[in-house]
Parts: sequence; structure tokens; C-alpha cells
Amino acid sequence: MSDPEKWLANWRAAGAWSLSRHDLAKEGLLASAFLPTKAILNCAKELKEANFSLLDLSALETQEGFVVTYHFDSLNEPGRLAFRALVPHKKPHLPSLYDVFQGAEWHERETADFFGLIFDQNPNLIPLLLADDHYGPPPLRKNPADLAPLKKLGLLGSFEILDPDFGALIGEDSQKESQS
Amino acid sequence: MTFGSLNFVNPFGVWENPGSTAGDFYAVNFEKKAVSGRVILNLGPQHPSTHGVLRVLVELDGEYVARAEPVLGYLHRMHEKMGEVKTPWQFIPNMGRVDYLHPLAWNWAFVGAAEKLAGLTVPERAEYLRVIGCELNRIGSHLLWWGAFVMDLGGFTPILYAFEEREKINDILQIITGSRLTMANFRFGGVCADADERFFRLCAEFIPYLRERLKMYKGLVTDNVILRRRLEGIGPIDVDLCQRYGATGPILRAAGLARDTRKDYPYGVYPKLDFPIPTGPINDSFGRYLVRLAEIETSLSIIEQAIKDIPQGPIIMDKAPKATWKLPAGESYFTVEGARGQIAAHITSDGGKNPYRVKLRAPGFSNLSLFAEAAKGTLLADAIAILGSLDLVIPEIDR
Repeated sequence: MSDPEKWLANWRAAGAWSLSRHDLAKEGLLASAFLPTKAILNCAKELKEANFSLLDLSALETQEGFVVTYHFDSLNEPGRLAFRALVPHKKPHLPSLYDVFQGAEWHERETADFFGLIFDQNPNLIPLLLADDHYGPPPLRKNPADLAPLKKLGLLGSFEILDPDFGALIGEDSQKESQS
Repeated sequence: MTFGSLNFVNPFGVWENPGSTAGDFYAVNFEKKAVSGRVILNLGPQHPSTHGVLRVLVELDGEYVARAEPVLGYLHRMHEKMGEVKTPWQFIPNMGRVDYLHPLAWNWAFVGAAEKLAGLTVPERAEYLRVIGCELNRIGSHLLWWGAFVMDLGGFTPILYAFEEREKINDILQIITGSRLTMANFRFGGVCADADERFFRLCAEFIPYLRERLKMYKGLVTDNVILRRRLEGIGPIDVDLCQRYGATGPILRAAGLARDTRKDYPYGVYPKLDFPIPTGPINDSFGRYLVRLAEIETSLSIIEQAIKDIPQGPIIMDKAPKATWKLPAGESYFTVEGARGQIAAHITSDGGKNPYRVKLRAPGFSNLSLFAEAAKGTLLADAIAILGSLDLVIPEIDR
């Protein structure tokens, strides 16, 4: 298994908003972190240099904004890691990982289709799975009344909040280090 | 456009190309980057070599592929949205429809993710039945791929042989799943029907039968000089390419890495079974062909062990979830090894009636995304061979 502590330390240095340790048997992840959007490209580069591969990109909408989760797995030894970005509703922009992982292009186009997120620098951000003349809201956007707060979704596992603003946004105490 | 109280603006702007006579949106978009004087060719969406309704736009320089772009979405059904509007129990049959060639692996991915999240335990007999079903299904999938792939290359007969074998597998699977396609016999905490004496007898008969047939396949097809010339050295896909595109399964194993979810993230009773991970001697189309044929042998050996070791007992847990069962709040990412690579179900729940979000990772999606790069600079006929060697199932890619 790859060592999650090394990556948690890297993400802490990259200015992560929060760090989480997960139970691999239950949640299928070793560790995750909420990163500021400006840090995700560099963190992806570090993972690529350590022989990780981007296997999946999943997004969901919460009251606080869109949570975009990048799933990585090492080619050397099993050990799944993920980092997340919280994208506000008002400015749904994210940097594209195309320059690091070319496979990200399609994952980003799919996410753009379903959520209306915009991945800057994606070389071909046109509809992938939806029709080019699709009319209407992105299908996986929820009605505002149905949105759940991030805290309720249990994305944080056993967590540590590093950024007080992020802690205040999601309603978790930054001083507290605990199990959600 | 308003959506609830949310004002919606298409973030991409307007797509239409008013007055264009050059083709539809994708063709126009593709042509923008084309070099003058080259031919733009449209393959599919209705073409026998695209295994369903995949469309590929290619820019040809003479007979060489200068650029290619797959166009997806012709079989898109939005399973992920259906996951949000159905209860978890109601969503299980969808899993049989995502990938029609390996439905039981998808069953397992979704059911497994829910079981992990809720902490359900599965009786051992059910775990064995899942393994046997999943591996029989994998053989069926590889056999159909084998027949269709050789047909892509111009050899019609093998698909008739492949279907004969596949029919036998469907006869066996019908006993425990009740269907020959779109199987969905997994339930939270077990499976829905037990195997009878006839099931085990047919399995025991099928294993030596297919081993004999595989020898014949080697003589008739694998050692055929025409097939070899079409595949050897065509479309090498190395580990670096797999890493950049997230390719998994036989493609990654043909590139030489022994990565298999059944070993890396053990689930079910796979840790109790002894099986090798076949890796390719070479990373070209022929290497991928050999890896899949070796995987048929591996699956046969897994089934052989499983029908010997399967214990008596219940096939579903006590007080198994019912149709209205709610998932507890939380997140679960569960992976299984499908015939095409790593399948994942990523469930996020807020504790409500329906899952909050269901994300399905289709291995074929990542595997196909490397096609444009792998096909660059090859002959058009070789690009078709590469496309076939990726083992595409379009409903899975489009979801």
C-alpha cells in the first residue's frame, strides 16, 4: 500500500483547506484533501511524477458549491488517494488537468456536460455525452431546495481542518480534530 | 431558462453553426483544426467495426490517420441521474444494462459499494455464487470480443464459434440469474436465487469443453498468419500511455503491469482462490489479444476452484434490505475487475430515500480516450484493429 502520510504532508504544504484519512475497506480511499483550485494542477503533477494515474473524476453539487473529486491510483502498488476542489456556484471555473493527464480531457467534458462546470485550458471543451443541441440545465444540477450541506455527506472521514474560512463555510470547527 | 429559482445560462454559449453545409456540429468542430487538402472521414455511428454506435472522425493524410476524434453519446441514457431518482434497490436492474457483456461485474460494483457503506455482511455461499457468475460472464464477454474482433479484421467464421460457447454460458447463467442478457441477480447482502445441482453439473461439463475448444481456437485463429500480420506490432500501448489516460484491465496488463482489482483491492472470496494475473509479453494489439485469451483460462480455473469449495448455507443475509431501504449518510468508492478493466461505483448519500449522487466509472471510457493518440500515424485499417483491440462496449462508455 502506498503511504498516505507522505501525500497528506505534501497537500498540507500546498495549502490544503482540510486533510482527511479514510477507511480503505469502507470508503475505498486511503486519504483525501480539499485543495484550493490554484493548487490542484501542481498536486496532480506531483502525483504523476510518483507514478500515479488519474482514474476517475466525479462531481456533486452541495449547498456550498460543487465538490469535484479526482481519484488517483498508483501504478507501483495499490493505494487510492483523492483530492477535491470546492467550486462556488457563482464562478464554476477549474483548471484543466489535460497538460498532466491527457485522459482528464474526457472526464472534464463529461463533468462539464452534467454540471455546467468550466474547465479552463481544456483543449476541446465541447459536449461529450450530451447532444450538442441539448437545451436545458445540466442534468445533474439539483433544485436548490434539494441541496444537502457538505457536512451531511460524510466526505471528510477522520479530518483535520486547516483553513478557518473553509471550516466556517462548511460549519465545522477548525480547532477540532475529530470523526465526522 | 429557469430551473427552480436558479437562472440557467448555457456556459458554453451557442453551438449552432448557422449556414454551415459542412456537416453537423462535431464534424464542423473537427474540421476547424484540419490541414488543408486532407480528407475528413466519418466512421460510424452505424458501422460494424464500431461495436455499437460509436462514431469516430478521422483526418486522413493519404491512407494514414493524421488525427482522430471519437464522438460519443449515441447510447447515452443518464444512468447516473436514474441513480438519484430511484431507491438503491430499484437501481440494481440498471446495472445489468450499463455493460451488456459483463453485467454481473457492474451489479457487484454498485451492490458492493452500498454494502460497504452500510456495513452489510454477505453469506459465504452468496459470495461464491457471485464469483462463479462473474467469471462465467467474463468468459462470455471475452469470447464475444474475440469473435467480433476477428470479424473486424475480416474473418467471419470465429464469431459463430464464439456464439456457440456463449450460448452455453448463457444457459448456465440463466439458472441463477433468470436472464440471458441484462442480468441483475445481486441483492444487498446476497444474491436472489440459489444454484441447483444442474447448475454445478453444467459448469463442471463446460470447463473441460471450453479448454478443448481453446486449443482449437489457437490452431485456427491465433496461429493464423493473416491475423498475426494484422496485429503484430500494431498499436503499441505502453505503461506511460496507460498512466496518462487512466487505462486499466487487459490493456494495462498487456503493457506489462500485473494490476488486477481482484488482487489489489480484494473483494468477495477472491483472496481464497488461487489464480495468476496474465500479463502480456508484448504491448501491441496481438499482446492484448493474448492477454484476453489467457484470462479465459484464468477464469476457468477460478470457476473450477469455486464449484469445488462452495459451502452450503444461506444465499442472502438475515433481514436483507427491502425496496425502500435507505443508505446511511456517507461516501463509498468500490471497485471490481470487469472484463474491460476497473469498474467503480462511487455512491454519496445524505441518508435520504435515494442516493445523493451515484458516479459510475466505466473502464471502457478511459480505455477509448487513448485511441486518438494510439491511432495517430497508423494506416486506417490498422486503426480499426487498434479500436477492436481495446474491447469497447459502447453502452458502458456512454452510460
